[in-house]
Amino acid sequence: MNDEAEDAVDALLRENFEGPVADDGFCASVMDRLPARRRRNQWPMAAGIFAGVATCWFSLWSAPLASDGWRDWLSGAPSAATMTLFVAMISMTVLALAWTIAEADDRSEPRRMVR
Amino acid sequence: MADPTGAGQVDHALVARVLLTDDRRAFEQLMRWHQGMVRAQLRRLLHGDEARADDLAQETFLLAWRKLDQFRGEARFSTWLYRIAYTCFLQARRKQSSAAEAIDGDAPDQRISPPDAVNLRLDVERAMRRLSAAEHEVLLHVVQLGLSHDEAAYVLAMPLGTVKSHANRGKARLRTLLADWQVTSQEGRGT
Repeated sequence: MNDEAEDAVDALLRENFEGPVADDGFCASVMDRLPARRRRNQWPMAAGIFAGVATCWFSLWSAPLASDGWRDWLSGAPSAATMTLFVAMISMTVLALAWTIAEADDRSEPRRMVR
Repeated sequence: MADPTGAGQVDHALVARVLLTDDRRAFEQLMRWHQGMVRAQLRRLLHGDEARADDLAQETFLLAWRKLDQFRGEARFSTWLYRIAYTCFLQARRKQSSAAEAIDGDAPDQRISPPDAVNLRLDVERAMRRLSAAEHEVLLHVVQLGLSHDEAAYVLAMPLGTVKSHANRGKARLRTLLADWQVTSQEGRGT
């Protein structure tokens, strides 16, 4: 089929299409039937955070590096252990920040669909 | 397939508002913008059955409301709605057992009634009914609703190549069925 004939068929089909339907109370009737949105449960996230913190605390409690670093920090005489503790905390914070930014990007910028 | 235009961004912003703050007005705004074309799509799919089309359109928007968090912005919001509407249509068609409305794709390629300017619309309608269901649905989405082949493939859940071949075959068939109209319009132009 040549382009001209294809265009003619396209034009005929478009002419034959009435276009969008007028509202005529449609939206109002749907809004009346709209149920309340179910909110996502927050407790699994809170439980996960609590479990993570508890596990971390429990495993570090007996580690000499953590306890030395913590004690030196409280006594106002930062040592190598204190610095290690700080570097570990900052690294975790940066990782969490990067993850948050990546998630935010995914939500705000729609991904392109692959062909 | 993502829509870089302003309208697409506004749609995305409204969707985000609904998800973050349960803003029903934002959803209503989205519905006001898109209901016309979704209802037109369903009316076409149901060959003009307005009451059933509106029932399915209502079901479509209720589903969209419930599943809005599944909209990831991979397609335009309107395309996502067309897909939900088409799925509702398919489910309704499956439920319906009446064979009377089944479209016979193997109908012989007879030409449409003699040309008459008043009957052009009816003849195009009749010609569309003689297409196979797949050809009809592809032409509706690609030509009449103005979707790209990619978008039509997404809505109809068909491979891109299948969409293109159905579009070409459907147009070729329509051209044969509506040949008398083309002869007449050429004669009209010549005089």
